[in-house]
Amino acid sequence: MTTTTNGLAKARRGVTPGGPGRAPAKRHPTSPLRAQATRTFFWLLLPSVLLLVLINGYPLVYAAIQATHSGSLIDAGRFVGLDNFTHVLTSAAFWKAAEFTVVFTIVGVFGSWLVGLGLALLLRTRIPARGVFKILLLLPWVVPIVVSSTAWNWLVATPQSPVPALLHSLGLGTPLFLADPTLAAVTVCVFKVWVSFPFMMMMSASALASVDPSVYEAASMDGAGRRQQFTRITLPLIARSTYISWILMTIFCVNDFPTIYLLTGGGPADATNSLVVFAYRTVFQNFQTGPGVAVAFLMTVTLVVVSAVLYRQIRKSSVE
Amino acid sequence: MSTVLHTQAAEAADGAAAGGSPRRRTVFEAEVRGRWWRFALMLVITAVVLVPIAVVAVLAFTPGATSTTTGFTLENFTNVFTQTLASTWLGNSLLVTLVTVVVSVAVAAPAGYVLSRGRSKAVSGYSLLLFVMQSLPVITSVVPLFILFADLGLADHLLGVIIVYVASTMAVATWMMAAYYDSIPVSLEEASWIDGCSVFGSFLRIVLRNSLPGVLSTAIFAFLLAWNDYLVAIVFLRTDVNFTLPIGVESFFQQNTTDWGSVMALAVVMMLPPVAVFATLNRYFSVGGIGGSLAGR
Repeated sequence: MTTTTNGLAKARRGVTPGGPGRAPAKRHPTSPLRAQATRTFFWLLLPSVLLLVLINGYPLVYAAIQATHSGSLIDAGRFVGLDNFTHVLTSAAFWKAAEFTVVFTIVGVFGSWLVGLGLALLLRTRIPARGVFKILLLLPWVVPIVVSSTAWNWLVATPQSPVPALLHSLGLGTPLFLADPTLAAVTVCVFKVWVSFPFMMMMSASALASVDPSVYEAASMDGAGRRQQFTRITLPLIARSTYISWILMTIFCVNDFPTIYLLTGGGPADATNSLVVFAYRTVFQNFQTGPGVAVAFLMTVTLVVVSAVLYRQIRKSSVE
Repeated sequence: MSTVLHTQAAEAADGAAAGGSPRRRTVFEAEVRGRWWRFALMLVITAVVLVPIAVVAVLAFTPGATSTTTGFTLENFTNVFTQTLASTWLGNSLLVTLVTVVVSVAVAAPAGYVLSRGRSKAVSGYSLLLFVMQSLPVITSVVPLFILFADLGLADHLLGVIIVYVASTMAVATWMMAAYYDSIPVSLEEASWIDGCSVFGSFLRIVLRNSLPGVLSTAIFAFLLAWNDYLVAIVFLRTDVNFTLPIGVESFFQQNTTDWGSVMALAVVMMLPPVAVFATLNRYFSVGGIGGSLAGR
């Protein structure tokens, strides 16, 4: 956390109130104002920095300690070096969870993006009662996961539930959506897409709204068909925003806990065990703090690197 | 704001079609037909998407197996509120959410100003730090915090949960505020500085005063996070009188897997506030803001 304090010291020296936009702000001629602005900035940022250091920073340090100890929730245990990490990295359950996390994330990101973009494109055209659809379609994202997972449970959990019963009466057998390992994984992914597509729809809609319509006029005069207009104009113009929404959704999916845990609890036979669920169960059900925190720590390190790189990418692309 | 979406492209296309006078009628008719086809398609999609939510609403008002009444009933609601701690859970949830919203906005509003107006390396470094913290799994910080809070007597206490919520809303809340401030021209402030106003004064009287939409979208974001959270609550809150609604609903569901009416009644109670907030304030409800603010820094 020393970077933050160093950063603030720098801020005290060099910050000027600058205009919006990416250009470096012109130094204000009156230096008392600059000094005052720096002081004010310091105080305005202080609560946020304190929270970040105490509630986000401190646990990270403590997590590093826990990950190298053989403790439990009540006992710190003794130092075991990297034993927890080797234990975790050599266990089949960890790699299975990692694999499911990757599948879940890929399906979650691109599934919800395709559905969201499709609906945003449809809603951009003239449709009666468009505003009503737009609001109704956001509901899966607004309704608490606890509520929607309960509803999905009611719909698919047992052989007597409506969806299996309906499929049975259509002569398609009685699929056990949450009891069959493969099918449970599919169900969880579909549930995630159902929860997340409204987010992607909103992101796509605001990106599409910023595309200048005269571009399409010009294109259609030049004889570009609808498909060409979409692949050559729409997609490139919303590319940056799409990229950002993928990044955000990747983070949401990797870190997701309730969507999986409330529907399947990680089962059946660990088929829907993601890394977060795996870490949670290791700590709070098997009471192995060390290995559980080690899993969380491995995820953390990966995500810090990945997110720092992605953040640079976003900034770079926004400067262009 | 994502909801302020116009079909300029579609209108432009209409205009172009109306220009060709001989084909005008047929093109117009085709467009109207297309419109109704798309309407039918949207109707089907929306209906399918909303099935799980409709299920909750219908079952909540349907009498249970042991009930003597038929048709529409409020029995499930009276059952839930008289036989469980539902009213306590509801109160806890409301309290936790309200405090989280107020504190998040109070922390993020000034911090966002610095992110919006500051142009130094330190400020952009802080923005990066927020992004990194935001992308970390909550589970990493929850276990150490659980032990820390247990020492401080904050585990199994609503205050502990509130602190974690405020910390986890902070990054996005700060960006959302910053993105909104970006839309307020700095020239307004410059004028006030010349007149002798302090930087803090101009932040308060010029920027913050004109940022109600930004504050509202940030508040809605914090509201949804605190109201819907499951992971933090299940880790920290251990006694049933301290439960918030999500774990209240879940524990009730685990004990009564057959009494769907009561479970769904509780679910309705839980989904009503976010749906109500969303229905009244949906024009401030912008996820576009989250992405946009990220792109802008």
